[in-house]
Amino acid sequence: MAWVSLFLAGMFEVVGVLGMNRINRDKNVKAFILFGVGITLSFIFLSLALRSLPMGTAYAIWTGIGTAGGALVGMLFFGESRDWRRLLFIAMVLASAMGLKLIS
Amino acid sequence: MNRSWIFIFVGAFFEVIWVIGFKHAESPVSWAATIVSLAISFYLIIAASTRLPVGTVYAVFTGLGTAGTVLAEMVLYDEPVRLAKLLLIALLLAGIMGLKLIGGSSASTEVQS
Repeated sequence: MAWVSLFLAGMFEVVGVLGMNRINRDKNVKAFILFGVGITLSFIFLSLALRSLPMGTAYAIWTGIGTAGGALVGMLFFGESRDWRRLLFIAMVLASAMGLKLIS
Repeated sequence: MNRSWIFIFVGAFFEVIWVIGFKHAESPVSWAATIVSLAISFYLIIAASTRLPVGTVYAVFTGLGTAGTVLAEMVLYDEPVRLAKLLLIALLLAGIMGLKLIGGSSASTEVQS
């Protein structure tokens, strides 16, 4: 159950990032709701997952799904650059953030 | 362009404050400061993402927030300083500098469409 919660937390984080993209494109109430609800549900599911999973592992996976998913959503649906250097640098930031969460 | 990067850095600073707040806040005042910091940091990343690709903004915001929190815990709360942490923070900063350097050319022009 904790792993399902963690997966949902990551997915809702991606929903929040999707909301950020929509805010930039549409600037309407629906986009802000998508962002707010996504981020809030993400935190709720993360805190449920943290009750039984080790904190470092849970945080690292949550960050990984959210950040990588957010970048993918931007590239697939909002025309963000797929330049290999951009992918490399995002991967560097992502890997080091996950590493820090695992060991801290 | 540069203004957006400043928004990200300041937003990450407030992210560190609310992350520490969620862990250590006890009084109503510190909880209020935590919530205000949360609002400011999200306001700033949304503002930054009007000029820069959201995927980039979010990755940098999360990464800087994590690095800042790890540093703050080491400085303020006596968490052990380890070489691995410092190396990961260096790698993270290198990635962010890379994104900042290419940000103006390829990434932000395509996102205009």
